[in-house]
Amino acid sequence: MERKPSWLKVPYNREASLEVAELMKSLGLNTVCKEANCPNLGECYKKHTATFMILGSVCTRNCKYCNVTCGRPEAVDEKEPENIAEAVKKLNLRHVVITQVDRDDLKDGGAGHMARTIKTIKENCKGVTVEVLISDYKGNIDNLKTVLDANPDVLNHNIEMPKELYGEIKPQANYDNSIMILRESKRLRDDILTKTGFMLGLGETDEQIFALMDELRETNCDILTIGQYLQPSANHAKLYRYVTPEEFEKYKNIALEKGFKFVVSTPLVRSSYRAHEAMEEAKK
Amino acid sequence: MKKKIALPKLSDEMKSAVLCAWLKQEGEEYKKGEPIYEIETEKVISQVEAEEDGIMVHQLVEEGDEVSVGAELAEVE
Repeated sequence: MERKPSWLKVPYNREASLEVAELMKSLGLNTVCKEANCPNLGECYKKHTATFMILGSVCTRNCKYCNVTCGRPEAVDEKEPENIAEAVKKLNLRHVVITQVDRDDLKDGGAGHMARTIKTIKENCKGVTVEVLISDYKGNIDNLKTVLDANPDVLNHNIEMPKELYGEIKPQANYDNSIMILRESKRLRDDILTKTGFMLGLGETDEQIFALMDELRETNCDILTIGQYLQPSANHAKLYRYVTPEEFEKYKNIALEKGFKFVVSTPLVRSSYRAHEAMEEAKK
Repeated sequence: MKKKIALPKLSDEMKSAVLCAWLKQEGEEYKKGEPIYEIETEKVISQVEAEEDGIMVHQLVEEGDEVSVGAELAEVE
């Protein structure tokens, strides 16, 4: 195992981590924190925050950078929206981030279940804002509309990497579909903030990064997150480089110059990191 | 009362980790919540915090050693 740079240090508190983990287990819920082996799990669970992952813990796509299990997914848990609302209350969350596994086996890609989850939280947890991190729904705009009609406060769809890397690392997805999801979301519902993110360290060049930023801005995307790719195991996509915190700052400034309203760019940033603050800042 | 602290399982897939640094030396006291050692796993370096107040009595593994989940790391009291 290659030695990690000093800036990739995180706190781990077993007691605090177990508390949130047990609440999730008791309600039959999944978090992307656990399934993706997120480096921030210890810190976030300690602060009683988590990102819910709906529609099961098994994904129908096998992206080479991702730690979520690929295979035949479970049946959809119809009680999941209510159970998430209960967890939101117990954790006293003000801003909830909901993500999903890709469900290419379902006709609507899981959009209906996502919409029910948003509505159930909004009905049961007054004043709570909801951010969703959705699939590309294979470019199906009707599915996107289903989610938008449920009125999330932020619609996030991660582009993950420049177009040139999709074939090797994200072979079951289509870059143009992801751009379309972001563009159509803003066109259909200008009042809903859009957000996206990508990783560094997958073999991208600066030229590709800047072109990606330009294309994302053309969709009128509001919020951008940039984080370090961390290789989950030797079987996953190769890690090409560790980007220093100073370089992350440089990318942030370039993204702001290009017109993003809010940019979070540091090595351990993930989509939901400082999500509430990002939403509030982008609203201004 | 003396007891042993063991390497926790930080993720479902974790089988072992490299103990990269002791942050409390033998004879040193620490408070609950203070980081007492660092371990390196696939993705990051984790600073593991003490679950209760204690004294580092005897370190059973050296910095740089790879240890399995559940293996005893140190004697504390």
